[in-house]
Amino acid sequence: MIELFDVTKRFGDETAVDDITLRVEKGELCALVGTSGCGKSTTLRMINRLIEHDGGEIHLDGQPVRSFDEVALRRRIGYVIQSTGLFPHWTVARNIGLVPRLLKWPKGKVRDRVEELMQLLGLPVAEFADKYPRQLSGGQAQRVGVARALAADPDILLMDEPFGALDPITRATLQGEMRELQARLHKTVVFVTHDMDEALALADKLVVMHQGRIVQQGTPIDLLREPANPFVESLLGGMDRGLKEAALIQVSEHMLPLGPRLLASERIPYGASLSQALSVMLWHRVDRLTVVDEEDIPIGELSLRRLLGAKVP
Amino acid sequence: MGETRQSPNWVLSSLMLAATVAWLTLDAVSVAPNRIVPGTPYTALEVIGGWPALLMAVPMLAVVVLAWRPQRKGLTLSLGVVMALLALLPLWLSATTAVLVDPEMPQARVGIGSALWLLLFLLLLVLIELRTRLGMSRALGWLLLVPMLLGWWLALSLWLEPLALLREYHARSDQFASAVQQHLALVGAAVGASLVVASLLVLAMRRHTGVRRVGFGVLNFLQTIPSLALFGLLLAPLAWLGARVDWLAALGVSGIGWAPAFLALLGYSLLPMVRNIFVALEEVAPAVIESARGMGMARRQVFLQVRLPLALPVVLEGVRITTVQAIGLTAVAALIGAGGLGTFIFQGLGQAAMDMVLLGALPIIGLALIADALLGALSERLRPGGAA
Amino acid sequence: MRSASLMATQGPALQRWLAPIVWLSLLLLLTLGMGQLEWLFRLLEPDLRQVIYRRADFLTLLGQHVLVVGIASLLAVVVGVSAAVAVTREFGRDFLPLVSQLASIGQTFPPVAVLALAVPALGFGTLPIIVALLLYGLLPIVRNTLAGIDSVDPQVHEAARAMGMTPWQVLRQVELPLAAPFILAGIRTSVTINIATAALGTTVGASNLGDPIISGIVNGNTAYIVQGAVLIGLLALAVDSLFERLQRRA
Repeated sequence: MIELFDVTKRFGDETAVDDITLRVEKGELCALVGTSGCGKSTTLRMINRLIEHDGGEIHLDGQPVRSFDEVALRRRIGYVIQSTGLFPHWTVARNIGLVPRLLKWPKGKVRDRVEELMQLLGLPVAEFADKYPRQLSGGQAQRVGVARALAADPDILLMDEPFGALDPITRATLQGEMRELQARLHKTVVFVTHDMDEALALADKLVVMHQGRIVQQGTPIDLLREPANPFVESLLGGMDRGLKEAALIQVSEHMLPLGPRLLASERIPYGASLSQALSVMLWHRVDRLTVVDEEDIPIGELSLRRLLGAKVP
Repeated sequence: MGETRQSPNWVLSSLMLAATVAWLTLDAVSVAPNRIVPGTPYTALEVIGGWPALLMAVPMLAVVVLAWRPQRKGLTLSLGVVMALLALLPLWLSATTAVLVDPEMPQARVGIGSALWLLLFLLLLVLIELRTRLGMSRALGWLLLVPMLLGWWLALSLWLEPLALLREYHARSDQFASAVQQHLALVGAAVGASLVVASLLVLAMRRHTGVRRVGFGVLNFLQTIPSLALFGLLLAPLAWLGARVDWLAALGVSGIGWAPAFLALLGYSLLPMVRNIFVALEEVAPAVIESARGMGMARRQVFLQVRLPLALPVVLEGVRITTVQAIGLTAVAALIGAGGLGTFIFQGLGQAAMDMVLLGALPIIGLALIADALLGALSERLRPGGAA
Repeated sequence: MRSASLMATQGPALQRWLAPIVWLSLLLLLTLGMGQLEWLFRLLEPDLRQVIYRRADFLTLLGQHVLVVGIASLLAVVVGVSAAVAVTREFGRDFLPLVSQLASIGQTFPPVAVLALAVPALGFGTLPIIVALLLYGLLPIVRNTLAGIDSVDPQVHEAARAMGMTPWQVLRQVELPLAAPFILAGIRTSVTINIATAALGTTVGASNLGDPIISGIVNGNTAYIVQGAVLIGLLALAVDSLFERLQRRA
């Protein structure tokens, strides 16, 4: 659990972070969203003390971060940044094994852990272990970056625009993997991004920052339904908001049991989102879809009327 | 990150403290009755009652105090203090000379001691530090030296007759003038010739990759050979040529003298020159060239109107490096009879006459610094968009 | 399998070290066997009684040359790298602008002038040479080390800190290895200049491979000059090719 109480940071005369109070529960993924220069990265860096805060307090599991030795503190917090920050003179395996080695794990244990992580992140050991960072694609490098952050199995993960430099397709793939990873590992994650779609897709909790202050925080659905002000609304994409919200809701939540009527000709998997369902309906000009499970067996149906009903709170 | 500095400027305070200590403890001057006898050293406190020395130490300590809370106003004040100290130093020396030297002894000479040298060096460092902290341009930095130079000029021309360095200079002022001339002529000839040769070489290199590889190989090889060795190695074949070919001999080509010096200087100058010209022409952004072609400029127009103006500052940078290097190497060339300021260094070393060594070494350093500053400023000005 | 791969790397290794080995053997061969070449130098100076420099044997001169340059360069590396590291740490950062400017202004000073100034300050002999070489040799090393440390991607630096490396670990495991090629290039420049400047040491009362040259100039004996010049040239080439090899590995 991470808690920030009235945290403030000034650089010279400029207040970068202004009186922020925030609480990230254990196992929660909290996204800090905002335009560049809004203080979100500074906030992140104050948690592992890469930047020291001027006012207020930051607690980790109830203890102020200042009470820890900064080096020891950082070794138990994973950290991922946009440019990966991989050491160019070290192999992938050595990069991933960095923190366990700093923690003086025995050699064999480090090796096993590195291999385990490489498998977890879809990096075949035989192919990648001895490569150098410059031989990797952007997506591969970022996977190594995530593996390095997870190496010593930290409870907390700080991520600063981790997918910001990737092309849209790789980015979407890694976002998907991130979701799966988080579903398995349940880390406490603070995730900084300027991309609202990414934040909506990944976050349990969304924090919108502007000029060093928190403008609004809540679940993605809360924010979409009730943006606190025009700034948040514009950040959420204005007229696209409906689709964005629909993208967060699964078909399975709103399907009806199969009725006596004939099955609708078009099908949709139960794990798809309502926005995808809407798109299928628009494309085929139909107002009903058959919902199917993984084996393509019909398990329910979804109607446009029902879908519209779902939009009304 | 733009944090306002409130912590002490340790650079200023430590430099100034060191300067104060050096000033008050080390020998400031030495006085000898003639050129042969070693001088009697005096500390600054031992001359003219000591009080001017203490008086000079006060502003130095003031700078230490000002450096404790370095704000713009304090730094500007420190700058003024340091410039004043630098200008006062020759005047103090003049007063000291007047007191210590008996006018009855026309041979007496005053040597500058380690305290004065160190003080000069440290104050100049402080000046550099202040210039950086106050964000002044390089040109303005040179202007800061004007009061000091004025002070020295005034003192040297009016009161510092017994200064050993000056006595040494007066004893051979004609020789000095011609040495400076020779030095500059050799440097100018070598740099000019290398500019021409290097340009031709680069043109050939751009046509043929073979020439490029071999050319850089040979020039790199040349650059590695120590100067004294290269001068020596050129000596034998040139002596042979001078003895056998009459018109060469008539030109003054022989084993020693300007010929081997010029050739060696040319050899050393070629590498930096070729490298810079090559890089300058090669590294103009391809997109710029392509768009110039795309607009319908002919090859020659592209070269004259696009490549050359963009390349000029880099070429000038090559001229700067080459000139500074040649000024130093020409000093070595004095050993093989090429003349120049190096003559004083090696003669002085031979006779253990340190003031004569200084008479050669100081102007060489001065020339190198001036050439560096002038050519650096010129290449900076020619850079499109002005100074970076 | 293992020995086979070892052989495979040894073959080209020998080839890669060919240039330094050739220059070095030539240097040693000539140093030891200069006396055998009397007939050759006789051609150069047929009228002189003595054509081989005999005031000191060449091996001693070479040894003194290498020793002076070695000591000065070693000290310059230790002092230069530590200085550059110190001014890039938090506690020394105040000194960074001054030191980096000093390193670049200092390189404008001709090495001969620095050597000449060392004599009034320290007197004649080997000590002033070592000090002059040390001072002058510092500049390229400091400058390149600063450039090398500066070239480390700030993101890599931040990542290193964020992973919980201590400042010492960041320096040892990240900054210095990444700056190594720069530092090595600086040392190469420094040593090359030092070999050349040390040869002038003869004029300030130290004896080394510059001796035959100066003596040849003074006595009008071209044979002496060539002997000294060839040996110094070979020494410079051997050392330079050695550095080139090292740089390619780094």
